[in-house]
Parts: sequence; C-alpha cells; structure tokens
Amino acid sequence: MHMKRRDLLKLTGSAALLAATGLRDLAFANEPGAGDTVLVFLFLRGGCDVLNLIGPSNDAAYAEARAPDLRVLDSGDHAGLQLLTGGRDDFRLHPEAAPLLELYQQKHLAIVHATGLADETRSHFVAQDLMERGWLDNNKQRPSGANGWMTRWLTEIGGAHGLARAISTTGAVAKSLEGQRDALCVPNLKYGYGVPGGDEARAVLSSLYAGPGLAATSGRDAVAAVAALDARLPRGADHRPLPYEPAHGAQYDENTDIGTALSTVARLIKLDVGLRAACVDMGGWDTHEGQPGRFNNLAKNLSRALAAFWNDVASEQNRVLLIATTEFGRRLRSNKSNGTDHGHGGATLALGGCVDGGRLLGPWPGLHGDALDRGVDLAVATDYRSVLAEAVAPTVSPAALQRIFPGFRAEQRLGLLR
Amino acid sequence: MPATTLAPFLACTRLGFGASPRDIERIRAQGFSRWLDAQLAPPSGDDADTASRIASARLRIKYAANPGQEIAAVDEARPLHALDQSISETWQLLDGGQKVANQERVRPRYELVVATLLRGMHSPWQLRERMVEFWHDHFNVQGFDAQVAVALPTYDRDVIRKHALGNFRDLLGAVAQSTAMLVYLNNRSSRAGSANENYARELFELHTLGRGAYLNAQYDKWRAVPGALQGKPSGYIDQDVYEAARAFTGWTIEDGGTVANGRKLPKTGRFTYVDSFHDGYQKRILAREFDPFRPAMRDGEDVLDLVATHPATANFVAGKLVRRFIEDTPPPGLVARVADVFRRNANAHDQIARTMRAIATAPELTEAAGRKARRPAELVIALARGLDHELTVTDQFIGVLDGSGQRLFGWPAPTGHPDDAASWLGTQAMRQRWQLVLGVLENSWGTGEFDAPSLTPSGTHTNGEIVAAWQERLLGARDAGQAQAILTAMKLPDDAPPQNVQRLRRMVAYVAMSPGFQMR
Repeated sequence: MHMKRRDLLKLTGSAALLAATGLRDLAFANEPGAGDTVLVFLFLRGGCDVLNLIGPSNDAAYAEARAPDLRVLDSGDHAGLQLLTGGRDDFRLHPEAAPLLELYQQKHLAIVHATGLADETRSHFVAQDLMERGWLDNNKQRPSGANGWMTRWLTEIGGAHGLARAISTTGAVAKSLEGQRDALCVPNLKYGYGVPGGDEARAVLSSLYAGPGLAATSGRDAVAAVAALDARLPRGADHRPLPYEPAHGAQYDENTDIGTALSTVARLIKLDVGLRAACVDMGGWDTHEGQPGRFNNLAKNLSRALAAFWNDVASEQNRVLLIATTEFGRRLRSNKSNGTDHGHGGATLALGGCVDGGRLLGPWPGLHGDALDRGVDLAVATDYRSVLAEAVAPTVSPAALQRIFPGFRAEQRLGLLR
Repeated sequence: MPATTLAPFLACTRLGFGASPRDIERIRAQGFSRWLDAQLAPPSGDDADTASRIASARLRIKYAANPGQEIAAVDEARPLHALDQSISETWQLLDGGQKVANQERVRPRYELVVATLLRGMHSPWQLRERMVEFWHDHFNVQGFDAQVAVALPTYDRDVIRKHALGNFRDLLGAVAQSTAMLVYLNNRSSRAGSANENYARELFELHTLGRGAYLNAQYDKWRAVPGALQGKPSGYIDQDVYEAARAFTGWTIEDGGTVANGRKLPKTGRFTYVDSFHDGYQKRILAREFDPFRPAMRDGEDVLDLVATHPATANFVAGKLVRRFIEDTPPPGLVARVADVFRRNANAHDQIARTMRAIATAPELTEAAGRKARRPAELVIALARGLDHELTVTDQFIGVLDGSGQRLFGWPAPTGHPDDAASWLGTQAMRQRWQLVLGVLENSWGTGEFDAPSLTPSGTHTNGEIVAAWQERLLGARDAGQAQAILTAMKLPDDAPPQNVQRLRRMVAYVAMSPGFQMR
C-alpha cells in the first residue's frame, strides 16, 4: 500500500509533525510525484570476483585457470544456474544466487558483464573514487568540482527536496553523493531517527548549532532532518517506532548488513519522503584468501537481499531502479592462497521495473590469452558509465547527461531499459 | 582568557585526547617546552596509575552453553587476561578445536579496547597514545576476525606501541613480521608460483609511498617511470606490486601448516620464514635488480628498506600526520617541512619523535585549532577527561562505540578509519555523538554515575555560573550566547541554583553536545 502524506499525517498526528518541521518542510508541499525514479546505487566493495558470480562455465581457459570451487561449474552437484543466453558460452550464476536467477527469469534483472574503468588502476581506493565520481580515467580530464555522479544527477533532475531526497545507508555519506548537502545517513530506522534527549535537547541543539562553522552547519542540518524524518515513522501507543513489516512477505536477513541496508531503503521509498537517490554498500569482496566459503556467503547474502528488496517494493517497482557494481573484477588465475588478486573487468547488475531484463548485455571479450587485459585479467568491454548513463537517460536531456558524465560517449547502446 | 591557560588547553586537545584538570595543571607547572620534551620520550610501559586501572578493570563476557561443542555457559566480569600474554599463549585460543567459544577468541580485541580507552583517559603520556592511535589506523588490521583478535595484544604492545615514537623502518619491519598483519593481509598463505598480492599492494599504497605515487598508467613500463633509469623511480607500478609479493613469499606464521617433506610447523602463531615457500628467482622492484637465490628474507628486507626511505613515503606519512594533528587539508609548506625532518632522520632511533616535534612546534597547530573533527572514541575520552569523571568501560559501552562508526581495531578496510570531518559529521554521526555524550552523563550503559555536584568547578552557585565554568573546562573558553541558549531552552533562570542533580547533568551534557566540543 502506497502511503500518502495525508495518511501519515493522521498516523503521526499533525501537531507532532508540525512541531518537528523546519525549513525542509517548506519544500514538502511540492513533494515529488509517485512516478519519479528512485535510483539505488549498490557498491560491492573490495572488488567482486565476477567470474565466480557469473561464469562462462564451459570455457576451457576458465576451467584451466581455477580450481572447481573458484568457478561456476556446468555440471555436477554444485553446477551453476544456467542463464540460457543462447550464445556459445554457457553462462551460469553461482549456485547460491538462486534468487538472482528468479529475478533474471522474471526479466527484472539484466546483467552487463565485463564492465569497468578504462583506467588500469588495480587499487581499490582509486577505482572506487573514480566510479563514484563518474570519471573514466585518473589521467584524463575531470569534471569541475569533485562531487559525486549522483549529486550531479540530482542537480540535473531538479525538483523538490522532500525530507530525504538522498541517503546513504553507511555511517558517512557515500562519495557518489559528495557535495549533496541535504544527503542523510540512515543505516537503520529500527530505533527511530530522533534527536537524543527529546524535545528539550532539540531546542537546545537548534540554538547551539545556529552559528557558522563546519560542526555547526552539520549539526543544524542533522537536527532539522532527523526530527522531520523521525516524525514520519509510525509509532505505537508507547511512542516507540513500530517494527517494520516488509510487504509481500519479503524476508530480509537482518543479521547481514546488506539485508538491513536494503530494508531501510525500501522503507524510505514507501514512506513517501521524496527519496530519489540511495547509496548502499556491501563489503567483504576482497577475497585474496580462502575464497570459496566466503564467496558462498557473499553470493547468498547479496541474492537474498536483492530478492527481498524487490518483493518489498512491489508497489513501487515501476519507479525503482537498482544498479549494483564493483570497482574491478579479480584475476582469472587464482593464487596459492585459494583466493584471487585484483583484476580489471567487473560486472554490473540492473534491477528495475523499467529494465529490459532476462538478458546478459554487452560484448563478452572472452578469456583466452589474447583477449585478456595484460594477459591476465578479464578485459573491460563496456565502460561502466554506459550502464549508468542508460539508467538515468530517460530522466534527463542529452546535454545534461554530458554534464553528469563529462566526456562520456556511448560506443554501443546496451538497451538496458525497455 | 589569559594566554597562559590557553596554551595548556590547546596542548591537551591538539596533542592529546583532551584537556583534563590534572594535565592542564601539569603543563602549567612544567611549561609547554619541558612537557613536550617528556611527551616525546616517555618511559616504556604504563605509568603506575594507569597500570593499576588496567589491572583492576573487569569486562563482562557472556555466552550460552553449546553442549554439542562441549562449551559451558559463561557470564562473568573478568579481568583483562590477554594483554600481557605472548602470541604463543593467545594463539592457543584458536587451537581448541570446537571447544572454545568464538566470544573467547575475539575477547582479546575487547580487552584491548578497554585498555586503550583507559590509557587515553588516564595516561600522562598523551602524545604517545595519540601516536598509537595514528599507527593503528595507518597499519590497520581487523580484529573481529578471531585469528587477528588473538594477535592484537602482541601487535599493540610489541609492534605499534613499542615503535610509536621510534624509527619508521623498525616499525614497518615489525609490522611486516607481525602475526596480525600476516593474517589480515594474507601474506602468511602467500606461496611461490602465484603469490598473494594483498600485503604487497597495501604496503606500497597505504603503508609507505601512498596512492599519489601509484603510476598505474605505466603499468608495465618501468623505464618510463621518472627517475627509474637513474635508480630513483618517483613512484610505483603494478609490476612492483607483483614482484614485491614474490619477495615476501615465505614470510609466514607457525600455524601448524605443512611445509616441504611433510614437516609440520608448530602451532604458536609466531612469525617464521619458510624457504620452501619462497620464490627465489631474480626480481626487479622500484628499478632495483634483485639477484636470484639470495639469503633468507633478504628480498623482503630490501623491499622494506627501499620503501621506508623512498621520498614519496616521507611525503605520504608527513601528509597523514599533518592531517591528523593539524587540519583536513594539510598546508603543503608544513608537510614539506615535516617530510624533510622525517627524511633527514631516517636512521635515527627516534625518527618519529623528531618528526612529531616539528608538528608540535608548528604555528599551524594553534592557527588551525578547532578545525579537526573529533572521532567518537576521542569524543568520549575527551569528555571523561574534561569532566574528571571515572568512566568504567563496559561491554554495553563498547557496543555503542562500535555502533558509532568507530570500531577500534575492527575497521574492515586496510585504510583504517577515515580522518576527515565529512566522514564524522554526517546526520547519523551527529546523532550518535549527542547520544554518546548524553549516555555517559546519564549513565545509560553502566559506565558510572557522573557525580555532578562534587565535580562541578568550585565557587559556582547559580545556573549561569555553572554553565560558564563547564564551558571553560570543556571548551577552553566561555560563550555567553551559547550559555544563554542552553538556559533558555531548559527554562532555567540564570541566577538561581540548579534544581536537582539530573538538571545539573543535563546542563553539562549540553555544553559537551555543543559544536565546539565536537572539534579540536
């Protein structure tokens, strides 16, 4: 059920809401329409071994380079889940990614393989920074201002600010939203989102943080934002926030960070607080050692959380678009720690009602010697910005797209969206 | 406020974990210069007062029975046992098959958090504590992993703390041979053939030359790196990472693994070099040729020599120190001065102390005061110090601190905790800061009642006088406007005495929740 503002007013009591409102609420009257895209950017941090997630299971070079428990198999008890792409390669998903196969078969999920940076960096931190800023290459022209690519997108789409237009589920605002002054950090809404110390503390802090300076500005924003958002949370008779009940029996594993994060995003989408951009992190992908067991868990937790999220936002599916990517893939050949080192080509997933899913998109460079980047890594066949650009293209003009991704030229159209 | 009181306050906040009445008095009595001399050359080990607090500390440990694994239920307040133990003692926590609860295995991490907070609050050697904090971030390991957790007491005591003000090359070498780092960045499982590159990459990028010296566009063109043909490459490329990974093969730990000819290593967790794991063939690292089959560990030691003395390392470490102690955007002139001291003293046993002296005596330390955001651990330590409050570190409190974003010895990425205001002043971070201050003052997590009546500075009677006195203590200066804002919102008259102890505590809490206390 899509909750409207008037329902919430009844629920929370208009007096409570009015008491909590600051400047931000002035924009609330022009709250964005229900059809506005909500973009969720999920970053798989650490360099996801995409060849262990979506593998060409019958490729001889693939089988040669890795032990069976570091690749997706085409037969046996642990065979991968067939994507039936129709090509020569038998692409399969990791066996723990069954929920992803379902989304793929329902045509909500598209997979773009061999995505990444033109830049050769094999540093996590350089690669993540480039991607979050929407740059291609560390050594070429950069957009003026160091803000995140989602910040530039939000600037271009304009519109009302709402209560929570942009959020990060991490403790600090993600670099993709750098420069977005009203971005909130909302890791969890379980215990409410109020100012500690109650109404008196809120009044004191509003005065104490009225002055100039970095801390004062941050605190002022926080007092206004948290109080307004907190007032939107449904509460029981004891004034404690009611437990969140996901729609359609969606089950998040709250013991995983990714489960908690995506349930928080889904909840905010349905709270009707003007959310347009959300940044979510999932860490743990830097599997230099002991990869098989770790990767099983990662694939499972990611897949289950995405499926739960998708069920949970069923009523909003036509406007929700989630893009998941990673800073780079990992070396084709495994190391002797039963792990993989930093590589180059990665992959990007797109999940949304507008996604032309059920397809593996983008050229596949192959894994034979000549096709590999530097002779060792999956090559980048698709600029990661092609995926991002096609994802936001319907919401902005071509000129605006150039401002979001300066210097970007689509070499081939992926056909990501319907 | 007279300058004589301002200087000690800044010395405490900028070079230590905040101003305590005792340290203010100490600096005032000794004078800044003598105090600094002592800070830069502290005796090893804890002072008697801090040592006795650590010895008498108790931290609850609780877990349910697991009969299938022969684990009995435990719920007790237990002393900090692991801190003085050797690696071979703590390593045994891992070697009980299934008979040791995971809570026992990660316990050393929690004990170290308690000791670290106690040292921050009580140690007179404040600058050393700040350096220990700095190097733990610089050489980050993640102690929620049991194998790292059991190695943390040794890592803190014999590696970080021992060399915190010493020589950088010594520190780097001790880290390279530490169980904690060998486990965390996987070098212990690196083998000739396909070496594990994790440690080698972060050695260049995070421990020494820094990402600014990563010339990835030259990937495989080492001759194109400026200075390479003169044997002085200005930066590093991926090939250096690959070759350095080969150089460190064989640097491992005694973890019971099998070596050549079926021989098994003992299970002590100690560093060892296994020649049959080592890739002995020739290498080229930072434009230097390494001959094949050199003596044991020579390859690795030479890599450490090369990176420790590389000019980029001096710039990178100096830049990080200035960012930590001065401001988020380090003034280039100061970084250059500090880097120069670092470089010129490369062979000094007290290289880091000399480097820190350059920072501690820089005018920027005063000029840029108030621009660094305190991270959550520093915030609570500074609070306890400013209040002169005996804060007992409880398991609940550690849980709240972990939830605030600063997971001491538990940050997952090898970068260590971020060190910029943007990372610590977001909406969620501000909520958590206010929560931490209120929770300590109102004893929400069993950290102890704040004895507001007797700890409030003497000679104060009215609400107005009390708020002003606490501002002076916590913020270093009075602020009449803010004092009025607090009293107005609390609906308290300026000239009346406080109603009760709860209101008094709130008043103090609001002073510490103000913007000034979030910064140093």
